[in-house]
Amino acid sequence: MKTRLLVAGFLILGSSEVLIGQRGGGAAPTATIGNPQAIAEGEALYNKTCLSCHGADGRGGATGHALVSGDRVDIGRSDTQTYNVIRNGVPGTPMKPLGFPDADIWNIVAYVHALRGPAIDRPLSGDVAHGEAVFWGKGQCGTCHMLSGKGGLTAPDLSNIAGVRKASSIADALTKADHRVHDSGGAHLQELPPMNTYLPVHVTLADGTIVDGVLLNEDGYSLQMIDKDQQLRLFDKGKLQNVTVEPRSLMPTDFDKRLTPEEFKDLLAFLTRQGRTVTPSAGRGGPPPVVQ
Amino acid sequence: MAKRHLVLGLSLLVICVGSSAQVRTPDEILKSPDPKDWLTYGGSYTSQRYSPLKQVTTANASRLQAEWVYHVDNVEEGEATPIVANGVMYISSFNRLDALDARSGNVIWRYLRQPPSSARQRGTAIYGDKVYVTTTDSHLVALDARTGGVRWDVKSEGGFTIAGGAPLVADGKVIVSGNRPGGFIQALDAETGKYLWNWSALPKPGDPAYKTWGGATPDGAPIWVSGSYDPESGLLYYGTGQPNPQWTGQGREGDNLYSESIVAIDVKTGSMRWHFQNTPHDVHDWDSLETPVLVDATFRGQPRKLLLQANRNGFYYVLDRTNGQFLLGTPFIDKLDWAKGLTPEGRPIVAPGHEPSVKGAVTCPSTAGATNWPAPTYSPDTGYFYVVAHEGCGVNTITSSNDQDSPTGYYESSSDPWQAYVRAIDALSGKRVWEYKAVRSNHYGPGLLSTAGGIVFTPEQFGQVTVLDAKTGKSLWNFNTGDVITAGPAAYSVDGQQFFAIMSGTNVFAFGLSDSR
Repeated sequence: MKTRLLVAGFLILGSSEVLIGQRGGGAAPTATIGNPQAIAEGEALYNKTCLSCHGADGRGGATGHALVSGDRVDIGRSDTQTYNVIRNGVPGTPMKPLGFPDADIWNIVAYVHALRGPAIDRPLSGDVAHGEAVFWGKGQCGTCHMLSGKGGLTAPDLSNIAGVRKASSIADALTKADHRVHDSGGAHLQELPPMNTYLPVHVTLADGTIVDGVLLNEDGYSLQMIDKDQQLRLFDKGKLQNVTVEPRSLMPTDFDKRLTPEEFKDLLAFLTRQGRTVTPSAGRGGPPPVVQ
Repeated sequence: MAKRHLVLGLSLLVICVGSSAQVRTPDEILKSPDPKDWLTYGGSYTSQRYSPLKQVTTANASRLQAEWVYHVDNVEEGEATPIVANGVMYISSFNRLDALDARSGNVIWRYLRQPPSSARQRGTAIYGDKVYVTTTDSHLVALDARTGGVRWDVKSEGGFTIAGGAPLVADGKVIVSGNRPGGFIQALDAETGKYLWNWSALPKPGDPAYKTWGGATPDGAPIWVSGSYDPESGLLYYGTGQPNPQWTGQGREGDNLYSESIVAIDVKTGSMRWHFQNTPHDVHDWDSLETPVLVDATFRGQPRKLLLQANRNGFYYVLDRTNGQFLLGTPFIDKLDWAKGLTPEGRPIVAPGHEPSVKGAVTCPSTAGATNWPAPTYSPDTGYFYVVAHEGCGVNTITSSNDQDSPTGYYESSSDPWQAYVRAIDALSGKRVWEYKAVRSNHYGPGLLSTAGGIVFTPEQFGQVTVLDAKTGKSLWNFNTGDVITAGPAAYSVDGQQFFAIMSGTNVFAFGLSDSR
């Protein structure tokens, strides 16, 4: 029962972001969104003031709902809404106005924005060069993944992985067996849609030859795959004897165990820097209005 | 089960090396494309948009049907010509490329670079195992044609803004072009993305052409349509756009080189070999960007390397593409009043009274033109040049006759509605052979293609797709796609079935004979 109440509380808090009274962007002295210093200051303020309720990295706490989802990237949430909640609180909930100066509020907003946005907005700390060595070496990531033209083709290209996924999503992919998550349902596709891509597939041709590889896509009539020789193969299903798609990706999900903690941290530092920074679009709320 | 995973995983680990072994080099493939493929915006380097495929003929075209439809979200009036290589179709936008199984329309991969863009973009290019995307922030991105993975990503040199024309790969170089800060053509290494050269359509002080601007700083000459290429001579052929300001000529007295011209550029060096200006001192915004079509033929008893162009200004031109010599020019529309004809050198003999004025000057053809960027086709079987032609006029205005920077305007002549046709022109004489009248028109319409099956595949602006007999213009079949068509079509073959593909609005349609597989 207690759990149910808590869940209900989360929902109220979550939905109230768009219902509260006082609006307006306040005074955003400079472009805070994406500003590393603002994010760092916002993180310090968050950890001091917000963490006890909303949890580390905005993942949710005992009395505060999660500020970020488990999705690859959060879109459709307005920075102005976040600002308003921090400034005005949410009536009827433990979320009270915190009385911060506007500049501090915007720094927190910048931090929350970075948590919700792709990893490139806030790359994780670590030895990036060492992480790159782990990627191509002990981690064997480059055997199947490609980065800027180097590497394999039997797994998704990672050249812009930090531009389309949150750091937490990248970490999940390395450590959680069931890391396939729904896309964010935003107005625009930001990456490959959730097709059954890169699952192992075995195709038996009419003459009995078996072609192994990974699936890119299929429909009722045709199948598209990368074979073991890294060639794109297109098949007419009507001409095949059999198709077997395995339910799980070949991607190992125990990198936190097969690598040392330092190697794992550095690998994440490297991966969270592989991508392009993109100006927030309207779909993600956009930058806060600047009021001089 | 876990063991099986491990075994397969190991085998993949071992085998994840190497790449495709091709008998022909990527350059050889582009010089002489397999008839089943449609490898460039213009179908081949000649831009003839002629397919040697002949499964679909005048005898069976009536049995064509839609085989599949693919929706491309976030585009508006898609303008891309699909390219097809080895059964894979590539549909481009700015910041985006979709790879489809060309038999079924099933998506193989999508490359999506933020931000999404609905800006007009007209195609992509392929070179070996790479396909190319142009971006709204003027990057050129090379993707792995098998997976869509990024091979490299470079910004155009010098801050030039890449326009929506399809890239063209020639001599191992990706050729891109654009409008800002002025018309330009730029070459980058197709393998590495390394910058090689840039040609500017706007002359600099010291260049004799600079004096053709009457003291004004040269401006404009945008280049936003893909060109053609002759591998034998190593020359690229591109058209250039209007001088700026586009409807006010009083501040830029002179010919305004190299606006409104066809230019031949050395693919090795980026230097201009020759130019031919269709419309000197243009004040009607008639870009000379209409596709230059390359044809080798016996012209007036002599074997010649020709360049054909139906220009937006209403004249059909035949040039010698080795030196730019004007050989023939004749109107391909009836309503042409801005010029009395062409001199022996091909220069228009301008008729008075059509300079934009405060009152408004009616001019035929309109600014949208006698034809526009959607590409024509040439069939070596008939020797005909097929083009979408518009009969219609427009009104050009300026707000002040004294101010050279006077705001300008253009509107269609409401008393004289446009009418679109597909016209077959005897390529070497310029004489019209037949015409097919479209239902109506308020737009420049789509591009065309012809095939060895004796047909002209003819999309129409209001969404109808029609097949015409290439010899007679007789309509053999039609299909309503339900949306506006402005793109150019492609023809290809997979597993023995011939297809025609065309973008209509936000969708790609593929047509074929369903009983041919």
